[in-house]
Amino acid sequence: MRASSIFSRFSVALIASAMLVACSSTPTEDDTSATDQQVERDADTRPVTPAEPARPDYSHIPLTAEGYHNHPSHYDGTTNTRVIYFAFDRSEVPAAAFDSLRAHANHLKRNSNARIRLEGHTDERGTREYNVALGERRSKAVEQFLRVQGVSASQIETVSYGEEKPAARGSDEMSWAKNRRVELNYTAGRP
Amino acid sequence: MRKLLLMMMLACANMVHANLVIEVTQGRDDALPIAVVPFAASGGQPEEDVAAIIAANLHRSGQFRPLDSGDLLSRPTRGEDIIWRDFRVMNMEYIVLGRVNRQDDGRYRVEYELHDVARGARMLAASYTGTASQLRDMAHSISDKVFEQLTGIPGAFGTKILYVTMDERRSQPFQLQYADADGHRAQTILSSRQPIMSPAWSPDGRRVAYVSFEGDGLPKIYVHELDSGQRRVVTREPGINGAPAFSPDGTRLALTLSRDGVPEIYTLDLETNRLVRRTNSRSIDTEPRWLPDGESLVFTSSRGGGPQIYRLDLRDGSVRRLTFEGPYNARADVTPDGRYLVFVHRVDGRFQIGVQDMRRGTFNVLTASNMDESPSVAPNGTMIIYGTQQGGAGVLEAVSIDGRVRVRLPSKEGEVREPAWSPFL
Repeated sequence: MRASSIFSRFSVALIASAMLVACSSTPTEDDTSATDQQVERDADTRPVTPAEPARPDYSHIPLTAEGYHNHPSHYDGTTNTRVIYFAFDRSEVPAAAFDSLRAHANHLKRNSNARIRLEGHTDERGTREYNVALGERRSKAVEQFLRVQGVSASQIETVSYGEEKPAARGSDEMSWAKNRRVELNYTAGRP
Repeated sequence: MRKLLLMMMLACANMVHANLVIEVTQGRDDALPIAVVPFAASGGQPEEDVAAIIAANLHRSGQFRPLDSGDLLSRPTRGEDIIWRDFRVMNMEYIVLGRVNRQDDGRYRVEYELHDVARGARMLAASYTGTASQLRDMAHSISDKVFEQLTGIPGAFGTKILYVTMDERRSQPFQLQYADADGHRAQTILSSRQPIMSPAWSPDGRRVAYVSFEGDGLPKIYVHELDSGQRRVVTREPGINGAPAFSPDGTRLALTLSRDGVPEIYTLDLETNRLVRRTNSRSIDTEPRWLPDGESLVFTSSRGGGPQIYRLDLRDGSVRRLTFEGPYNARADVTPDGRYLVFVHRVDGRFQIGVQDMRRGTFNVLTASNMDESPSVAPNGTMIIYGTQQGGAGVLEAVSIDGRVRVRLPSKEGEVREPAWSPFL
């Protein structure tokens, strides 16, 4: 009885810390405080706390699979944002990502040697080649956003991996939400 | 030295274990009872159990119910030795028996006979000669002959399956492999850190085409000769390079490129490398497959909203919609006679394999799970192999075109996906 409760507490702390490490850009205040309480109770469990600057509090906006793509916690308004998420079967850039993409656009405009590769991804549902086409729509939507901001076409490359390179392995709504994305990767002139 | 040899042998043993194993998950009630008697061995123990391979093949077709060899009342190895009542009392309709003789030169001579129990008469008898490594080929060929004699349909046991595996524990997680239709003798064609997609056979079975993102991380279409291992990039255009499919005469590929902005269907002449754009819409056009006439294609298009299957006539460029059942029908394949269209069909958020009879216009769902994809029809038109998920990992299953038989090919490690059934080899 005792042993099992220690185990479950230990594993909760482990999972919580793993989540912190895995999604360092997305913890809500709720997650963080829950982990801290856990640490006080289990002195010999020490989760790695990433050294991050203080974040705005978005805990009042629930992080659901449905609203995942537009959750402000993913987008800090700077070039540190490297993943843009998308709604199911959609390829519109979410409004919450606009400031971050403007920051990327400004960086690219100021640094003509900088090159960015926009990698489109989908969740696993649907056929593989059709998903490659959907992933391309997403990468092209981000490309279009940057082009409208005045970024030169020669600085942007797009590629779609469809469902072939998932960020999350599960077959559930939250994993799918994490996989519907465009990754922004600099091949030169990284900010 | 000896240790090294032992290690090499162990490594080989591990490779053998990577083979796929097949289980029949749904059979037919009217499957034909057949006794495949263990073949007599002379001159040495053969490397393969020929009778067991034949029995497994017939069982996997769903059309036969082979008698467990432990239930045999007698084990004749020649027609004249058959005690008919031993088989009649077991309600057997047919008997396969034979002999495997290891010759002085190390080669094997395999003889078999097929007998009809009701008539007490021989239906087939033939022999083969070959090396130990050809014993499986001989067993598959015998299975093909027996299957054709008793069903009227050529057997496809001597064919191969091409597929992609993914195992994140490997330094090169993506592999392109092919194996016998029973899952044995798997061979790796290509290993890569980047995705490999959409493998397809040439009609002569000597070449395969596929999409590989190797090197720079961008998609390229390759044509790869299996015997020599030689390959070449046939397209590396900006944007999507996807969904290659050989024409029935093997001279052209149909494929998808998005170099003009959106994914469109092209044909590529493999002699001249001339690309011809075949579709013109602002929507997604992809996943082309040739119809047997070599003059038309089926493909997936979102021109009507969601994805549906359309038919494109290459002679005049006309396009006609084929599927209307539900909001999502994609990635079609066509039976060799051109009659049936098989494709991925979404119903209530579940992706299943659907079949449409293009002559009668009827539609059926053949599978019952959530994530079925990439259907590929056997060259004899009886079975469809497809990818599905089990316990969160990709596995292969096959279903008969009438939906009555279903078999699973579980993978020992990693994921298996995108099966492509070879032509007759």
